Formats: sequence, C-alpha cells, structure tokens
Amino acid sequence: MPLLGSFCLLFALALSAYCFVVGIVGAVRKDFVGYRMAETARRAGMATFAAVTLAAFALVWAAFANDFSLSYILHHSNRSLAAPYKFAVLWSGQEGSLLFWSWLLATYGFVLRWRHKVDQRLVAITSMVLAGIQVFFLLLCNFVANPFGVEPGPIALDGAGLNPLLQYPEMVIHPPMLYLGYVGFSLPFAFALAALIMRYPGEKWIHITRRWTMVTWLFLSVGISLGAHWAYAVLGWGGYWGWDPVENASLLPWITGTAFLHSVMMQEKRGMMKMWNIWLIFTTFMLAILGTMLTRGGAVSSVHAFAQSAIGAWFYWFLGIVFVVCLTFFIINRDHLASENQLESLVSRESSFMFNNLVLLAAMFAVLCGTLFPILSEAVRGYKITVGGPFFNKVVIPIGLFLIFLTAVGPLLAWGSTSWGSIKRNFAIPFFSSVALGVGLIAFGMRPFSDMSHFYAWSTFVLCTLVIATITSEFIRGGLVLRGKMNTNLLFAIFHLMRRNMRRYGGYVVHFGMILFFIGVAGQAFNQEKELEMGIGDKLQVGHYTLTLTADNHDDTPVYESQATILDVQKDGRYYTTLYPERRAYKASGGQPLTVVANHISLQEDLYVIYEGQNEGRPIIKAFINPLVVWVWIGVIVVVFGTGLALVPNAVRVTVAVPAAVPAIDNQQDMQPAGVGK
Amino acid sequence: MKRLGEILLLCCALVLLMGADSQDARFEQLGSKIMCTCSCAQMLLKCNHVGCPNSAQMIQQLHQQVNSQPNDEQVLQWFREQWGVTAVVEPATHGFELIAWLLPPIVGFSCLGLLVFIVLTWRKRAIAAGPANVVLDPHMEALRARARQETEI
Repeated sequence: MPLLGSFCLLFALALSAYCFVVGIVGAVRKDFVGYRMAETARRAGMATFAAVTLAAFALVWAAFANDFSLSYILHHSNRSLAAPYKFAVLWSGQEGSLLFWSWLLATYGFVLRWRHKVDQRLVAITSMVLAGIQVFFLLLCNFVANPFGVEPGPIALDGAGLNPLLQYPEMVIHPPMLYLGYVGFSLPFAFALAALIMRYPGEKWIHITRRWTMVTWLFLSVGISLGAHWAYAVLGWGGYWGWDPVENASLLPWITGTAFLHSVMMQEKRGMMKMWNIWLIFTTFMLAILGTMLTRGGAVSSVHAFAQSAIGAWFYWFLGIVFVVCLTFFIINRDHLASENQLESLVSRESSFMFNNLVLLAAMFAVLCGTLFPILSEAVRGYKITVGGPFFNKVVIPIGLFLIFLTAVGPLLAWGSTSWGSIKRNFAIPFFSSVALGVGLIAFGMRPFSDMSHFYAWSTFVLCTLVIATITSEFIRGGLVLRGKMNTNLLFAIFHLMRRNMRRYGGYVVHFGMILFFIGVAGQAFNQEKELEMGIGDKLQVGHYTLTLTADNHDDTPVYESQATILDVQKDGRYYTTLYPERRAYKASGGQPLTVVANHISLQEDLYVIYEGQNEGRPIIKAFINPLVVWVWIGVIVVVFGTGLALVPNAVRVTVAVPAAVPAIDNQQDMQPAGVGK
Repeated sequence: MKRLGEILLLCCALVLLMGADSQDARFEQLGSKIMCTCSCAQMLLKCNHVGCPNSAQMIQQLHQQVNSQPNDEQVLQWFREQWGVTAVVEPATHGFELIAWLLPPIVGFSCLGLLVFIVLTWRKRAIAAGPANVVLDPHMEALRARARQETEI
C-alpha cells in the first residue's frame, strides 16, 4: 500500500504538471486545437484528484495497519491509538498535512472542473492556476516531505504515538477546518487571477466565487475557533488566545478575507474598488501561504513547533513567484480594473465599506508587524525579541473597537449619500441605548477608568449595545414596512424580509454573532485566579466560590498514569458542583504531561480549575473565574448560523413593473436601505 | 447644547476620578508583560511549572522593582538586562524596538489620509463633471429610485 501511495503521488504530480502546462497552451491558443488541449488539461486535473485521494487513502491505511516501516507512521501513531486519531494521523505531522493540503486542493479543483460549464474559458484558466498551486504542493510531497519515506533499520514493534495534546475530539476537526479555509482561498484567488489574465468582462467571476469565498471564510472561522476552544479546554492556562505566531498566521487571511467579503459588494453593486478587490484576494491567498510557511518554516518561535522544518525556503520562493505573477498581470491589465463609479459622499454606505476595509487592513498589518518583528529584529540587531500578548492587545484592541463602531454605523447609511436628517432619525435610539448602558454599567459599579482593560471592556459593551440596537432596528423597521404591505404579523414580516435578501440579513446575523464574541472577549478584563497547595479538607476561596479538596487519587492505565482530585464547590455558602481536575502522563510519549481541565460553565462565568502538579505529595490546584467566556463560543455558533443563512438563495426575486405609475420620490429621504427611515 | 456639554464634561471628570492605580495592579500588569524563562513559554505570573527554577526568583525581583522603580519601562528594561531581551514580551519604547510600536499607527494613518484624499479627489471630479452631462428623465429617475428601494441596492 505505501508503494501504491508513493506511486500515486508521483503520478499526481505528472498529471497536475500536464494540467498546468497544457492548460497554458490551451489558454494561449484560442482555436479548436487549443480548446481540445484545454479539455485534456481539465481531465488531467480531475484525474489528479483520484491519484491524490489514493495516496491519502494509502497513508491512512498504513496508520490503521500499524505499518511502522514508514517513518511518518512510526513518529505519529502507535498500536493503542484510538481509531479517530489514527485517521487524524493524516494531518498531525508535516508530511501528512502537506499531503492533506494537496488532497483538499485536488478536491476543490475536481469540483471546479466538474462544474466547468459555468463558464468554460474562465474555468479553464482558473483550473490552470489551481494546477500551478497543486504542482508546488505535490513537489513538496514527493521530494521534500514525502509521507511514504521508509524508516531505516529494523521495523519497530510500536510507534511513538500521537502527541497527547492532540488526542482530543476537537483536534480531529480543527486542522481540517483550518486547511479547508487556507486551501479554499486558492479558489477565489485562482478565479481573480484568471479574470485578470483574460480581462474577463463584468463581475460574473465575483458572483461565481461569492459562495466559495463565504464557505471558505466559514471554514477558516470555525477552524480558528476550534483551535481557540482546544487551547482553552486542553492547554490549561485559562485562556483561549495567546497571540502565538501560528495563531496570528491563521488570523491574517481571515481578516483580509473578511475585508474582501465586504468590499466585493462595492464591486457588485457599484462597479467600484476593482483593483482593491483583486489585490485583497491576492493578499488573502498569499497570507494563507505565509501562514503555512510560518507554521512549517520555523522562522518564528511558536507552540506549534511540532510541524517545523527547513521547508520554509520553498514557501519563500513560491510566495515570491506568486507575487511576481500577480504583479505582472496587474500591470499589464490594470486598465481593465478602472472604477465605473465614484464616491459621492463621505457619509455613505460606500465610504463605510472603505473605512471598514481600511480598519481591517490596519488590524491585519498590526498583527503581521507584531508577528514578523522578531524576524526583523534578528536581521537588524542580531537577536530575536519576543512580541506577545501585551503588544497585540495595545495595538489591536483600539482598532477592534473602531471596527465595532463601524459595524454599528455602516448598515444605517444609504448607498450614494445619507442625509443628516436620516442619520439623526436612524441613530437616535441606538445612540441613547448605548449611552444608557454605559451610564448604567458605571452606576452598577464598573470603573472604566481604573484600569485600561476595564476601559476597553466598558467601551466594548457600549459599542456592542450600539450594534445590537442598530441591527434590531434594521430588522424591526424592515419588518414594519413589510407588515403593512403584507397584512401579517411582525415576526412573519421579518422572516419574509430575510427570505427576500438572505445575504444581507444573514450578514446581520453574522454581525450579531461577532458582537456576542466581542462581549465574551471583553469579559477577560474581569478574570480572577488563585493557586493553592492543598491537603484533604483544605479550602480554596476564589471570588464567591469555595473549593474543598475531598480526595486525591492516583490511577495507572495502559495508556497513561494520572493524578486526579475531587473538589466540592460551594457558591455563596451553598453546594454548587463537584469538579475533577486531573493531570495525566502519557506513556507512549515518554511521560508527556496533559492537563485535564475541570470547567463548570455558566452564561455568567466559567469556574475553570486545573491540577497543576504536586509539591511533596500535596496537589497544587489553580482556579480561575473567567467571566462571559461562553459568549465567545455562542458568538461563533451564531456566526456559523448567520453565514449559513447568507448562503441560502433568496426566496423572492424582486421585479419592478416598468409601466407602473410611480409617485415622485424625495431622494434625500427615501433612497435609503429598506427599513431605514420612515 | 452648551449646558449639555458642561454636564458631559463633569460626568467625564467624575468618572476619571473614580479609579486609582495601586502597586498591586502595577505588579499584575508588569507581570503579564514578562515571560518565565524556564522555557515553559508562559507569562511569569501564569507559570504553572511545579518546581520552576526561575519563576519564584523573578516574581520576588518584580516585587522589588515595582517598589523601587517608579517607571514601568525602567522595570521592564531591568528585566531585559537581567534575564535577556526575550524575557519581556513587549517591545521596548525606545531604540530599534520603537519601530514595532510606530509602524502600525503610521501605516494606519497614512492609509486613512490616502483614503480621505481619494474620496475628496473623487468628489471634486464629480463636482467638476457637474450635472450638465447627465440628462435626467424624472420618470426614469423615479423608477430607478423605486428599483433601488425595492431591491435594497
């Protein structure tokens, strides 16, 4: 089977190289022969999928068959590894994850080539671009990080096993989701480059890629969130985001992808920002590659060091080639990207999108600057400094607050220009709601000026209220307009409103999810923690919780040794719950420790308890109170739901009967988004 | 309006006076900027490495520095000199590392300036082009307005 896998990888490389080269020839020759060649390239691209699938299957088979003759299986699996994790072996190491990347790219490519009748010429050139990316990854799989490499010497009886930190259900889903996101951006990138190469008229390529981009963005969002949840539930440091370079690397394409999803509406609806959009999607793809390079290349120190090697140089070259290709075609065809319309007013939906993009890009640049600064410091000063959480918090949080403000303001502005009267009318209730909340929070004891983190948290709550009020008013106003027209109740009218424009109202639901997420993040300002070396019967007081140690047990299983305690928890003097924090040492990994966090979740706060270790036989217990954390995860679920809604096609196609008699309309008052104004 | 402004100013002043920084808060704040050097890759006050050879000593030094040095940057600089530059997870606010702090706002504000410039240029062009080039049919304009309203574009 490994031999078959190895052969399939080589065959896939040959097929994708054929697809790439013949695809170029087919694109250049516009006669019948060129068409036939492009068709053979398309079929070769589809066959690449079959070959890479077989290779991936061979590697998974080797994991299930405990084939420790393969170096990759020896180092990432063992006999006692549970079946789902054997499947996860495919992406748990360098070589496997590159094969997995290739497979996902081949799958996306297969779907694209299968649906080539959408626009045969555009798809042909897009397929050629994808094949180019595929060639790069298959070159890596074949010649740099071959997953079917054989371990020298006698075959070992058992393997080293999977890293215990990765033996967690979310870890089976988190990497594929992230990869689906990273790899998925190849598709809109390939479409954009193809549209630029062939000077594709109109915005059809954007309509074709819109759903791809949203799905990709969704995968990346879910992937990042699962990683954050894993860090919270498994690593046992009480947080979920540490501004680690690899975390940042996943955030970078997410930020530019978010900017693209917004600015692309400007191109669709007003024919504006074409150059910006092209470069935004180019940048998103390049950042996805940069993210992979940072994870793999070892250029920056990271907790994700398991995947590091000298493979980074290959990514530098690939990134350079991609940039040169993009820049060349941009220079040649930039006149094709001239804007059809111009901005009429600073106070308009268009300008809010532009500011939104600017702020998102500023956030991306700040994260990129902090992530890469250690490399710059090493190059200039000869030593690598550490840039951690405090830097990112100082720089990114103010940008984030401004972004929340724009999220509130943007939807209430009209395309073209917005009158002062409509601004006053639309913003009055949201503005006073948020001011009332701000004052109320201070009245109930919040001290925003006692500490910078408290000020940020207070500002977040105030701005989030502003966003929630604007979103709610959007739904209610639109619903009221439809209720009058349809003679129905408000709820059904709102439902019907959403069905008319799923993308827009799904987008609002996504915004609402992001607001819940930010509320959860703001809760961090009020975290409390306490650590104590405890004996049986000892009490640990943290906030209004009292933790009493009732037992401390040692267990020895075939897979791990563990030390676990039982803690009775009282809240304000009443029994609340029992927690079981544990610390394990996995035998196959040379006693590598793993913290099993005991977390009691509520909407108000998490009581998060870890077993830190022992001192002279007495357990050391650390307890955290993490307020509002659950809203982070609820926010992510709402974002997923909202994106799902935005992907659903509209139920009603709005048509305007031309001969209908239309009363004169006052543009200042009535050319506002539906639901705005009267 | 003037009265409203005065009330708002007074509220701000009151709110500002509500908070006061303490040495404990300063200790916590600085502790979250220093990394434990035992290679556990955790913040100094979060290091949960039992029997850690460095954290206890570093925490004691932090207490001493917080009490003796009035300036936070001086405390961080002391830790950089004592434990190496990687011990502090925040770039210094002087020398080469100042670039890390300056780059994001410089780029952000430059982009903002560029954006405002582009918008103003577009507006000037639109005004210069004037409405004379556009022949508006009131009936068609009304239809367009209705279409925009109903399609929410």
